Amino acid sequence: RYCCSPATITVLHAFVFVSCQTAFVVDEVSTIIKESVEGAIGGNAYQHSRVNQWTTNVVEQSLSQLSKLGKPFKYIVTCVIMQKNGAGLQTASSCFWDNTTDGSCTVRWENKSMYCIVSVFGLAI
Amino acid sequence: VDYVRSVDYLMYGLICVVLAPPAAVFRTLQWDTDPSALQLQADSELGRRMHRLGASKIVQIDFVPKELVTYTKETQTPSAAHQSEEEEEDEESSELKASPQTDQPEEEGEAEDSKEAHPRELTEEEREQILHSEDFLVFFERSVSVVERALAEEGDIFFDYSGRDLEDKEGDMQGGSNLSFNRVFHDDHWSKHRVVTCLDWSPQYPELMVASYNSNEDAPHEPDGIALVWNMKFKKTTPEYTFHCQSSVMSVGQIVLWDNRSHRRTPVQRTPLSAAAHTHPVYCVNVVGTQNANNLITVSTDGKMCSWSLDMLSQPQESMELVYNKSKPVAVTGMAFPAGDVNNYVVGSEEGMVYSASRHGSKAGIAEMFEGHQGPVTGISCHNAVGTVDFSHLFITSSFDWTVKLWSIKHNKPLYSFEDNADYVYDVSWSPVHPALFASVDGMGRLDLWNLNNDTEVPTASVTIEGACALNRVRWASGGREVAVGDSEGRVWIYDVGELAVPHPEDWSHFARTLVEIRANRGDGEEEGAVELPA
Repeated sequence: RYCCSPATITVLHAFVFVSCQTAFVVDEVSTIIKESVEGAIGGNAYQHSRVNQWTTNVVEQSLSQLSKLGKPFKYIVTCVIMQKNGAGLQTASSCFWDNTTDGSCTVRWENKSMYCIVSVFGLAI
Repeated sequence: VDYVRSVDYLMYGLICVVLAPPAAVFRTLQWDTDPSALQLQADSELGRRMHRLGASKIVQIDFVPKELVTYTKETQTPSAAHQSEEEEEDEESSELKASPQTDQPEEEGEAEDSKEAHPRELTEEEREQILHSEDFLVFFERSVSVVERALAEEGDIFFDYSGRDLEDKEGDMQGGSNLSFNRVFHDDHWSKHRVVTCLDWSPQYPELMVASYNSNEDAPHEPDGIALVWNMKFKKTTPEYTFHCQSSVMSVGQIVLWDNRSHRRTPVQRTPLSAAAHTHPVYCVNVVGTQNANNLITVSTDGKMCSWSLDMLSQPQESMELVYNKSKPVAVTGMAFPAGDVNNYVVGSEEGMVYSASRHGSKAGIAEMFEGHQGPVTGISCHNAVGTVDFSHLFITSSFDWTVKLWSIKHNKPLYSFEDNADYVYDVSWSPVHPALFASVDGMGRLDLWNLNNDTEVPTASVTIEGACALNRVRWASGGREVAVGDSEGRVWIYDVGELAVPHPEDWSHFARTLVEIRANRGDGEEEGAVELPA
């Protein structure tokens, strides 16, 4: 017969509860990204002189918001801004990690003059 | 070792230790209480973690490029022999409008610049020389043409009515008859015993039409292929211009270009017989585009489509193999472009299939196949009457299987089949002005006019041309009031179409309703999904 003391059960519950707090939550990250992008380039048209600043802003803003989440993750954020000129763009990415704890999130944003693609990879520490 | 949050002594001698570092990651270590075996099993933790690693899903981004269709137009400075043609800037053949200032060709005029003050008698040699000089021939030809016209006009009151009925050209004719004979063009010398291979009306001068003829078997020393330009406006019976070339027109795979401005009867340009151009008979020729930016498109029976610039016929601008499904080339017998389109077109083939194709773009080449005919497709015509409703997706085909079929680009089975003929149907052509009217000709000498707003079972007007055996070609005049029909004996018959040809504004909406009825009556849903031509 196996009998658990109440303390054990509390511990086990705590374990499950906390692990939810420390997983990579795609929706949460996606919201952060969208806000960062909107804040940095929303309403602007593509301008070569300002694009560098924009990509930097997006990445910095995203990263700071992500770290404020306080989760035990290493983050990698990439941002691509492409002018809408008729060219095509194809990319692909994959990761070798712990599928249970690690995760990624890609956000595609566009307006009339440009595309913006932001990818975030979160690796559990 | 990280911070130990709590320790619990479980049953069976196992101790569960819970660690909670500030980063709140939990690891569970299990220790065996037997001191001798007291060792952290954490080392295997790493192994277990490594085994937990796996590949994630592949994340892809795909932005489709915008398709830019580009054209290049090259011109090549021609070799010196053609320089004289380049100098004429005025495209209009001013000869037609030249005022006839001479009553008689003045041979003596050429001799005016002789030393004598008054004209003297020419010697035989001088006469011959003048008669054969280029300038004289040009002048003589022009004058002859003008005089002939004048003679023909003046002879009105002595007009010979046999076989010709020219008076009722305007307005209603003979109590509302729909198809009335106008005239026949036939030249005993040139067009006898030749089959009319093609007809076309001049876009610039609506009264001019050109007919091409193939070889005359009875006269092997005559040129193989000729094209004659006939004038509807004047009553003379001889062609305006005659052109000939060595190979039967539309038989060997060459394109030859005659220039109406030059006064030569032989072609001014011809394409070479090379692998880059056509090596098989060219069956279809079409000029597409506007007055300034145009291309000559030709298709031959080996399935090769070439696009030529009229300035440079030494090699095609582009050429393409028309292959269906990457297997066999299409043996093309007819080609048509929808109104206003220079990129997409439809072709009919010897096997009885019809294909849609494009010249440019990512889907250049054969796109879709339309099945329906049981014999070679002889004629194909795209709807080109412009009005309130757009019918440019419609086209009709004629075939050896005794039928004419109506198609829409959007479906790969026919919309309707017209089965009133009892012989090979050789050609079919939409009216340029009336949305529901088309003409067809067959091997029994019958010319039919179908008005789909009136009746789809039988033609609205029909006439069997007496004295004609098989009718090869039918073409509407640009005004839509006359139809030219070519037959296998070298005659071109012009028929006036009466009130039937005049479109009324409600004809377009009526035709749209007719189409809906046709579609509804198609029965056993043969549609295999909407098949659209790339735009």
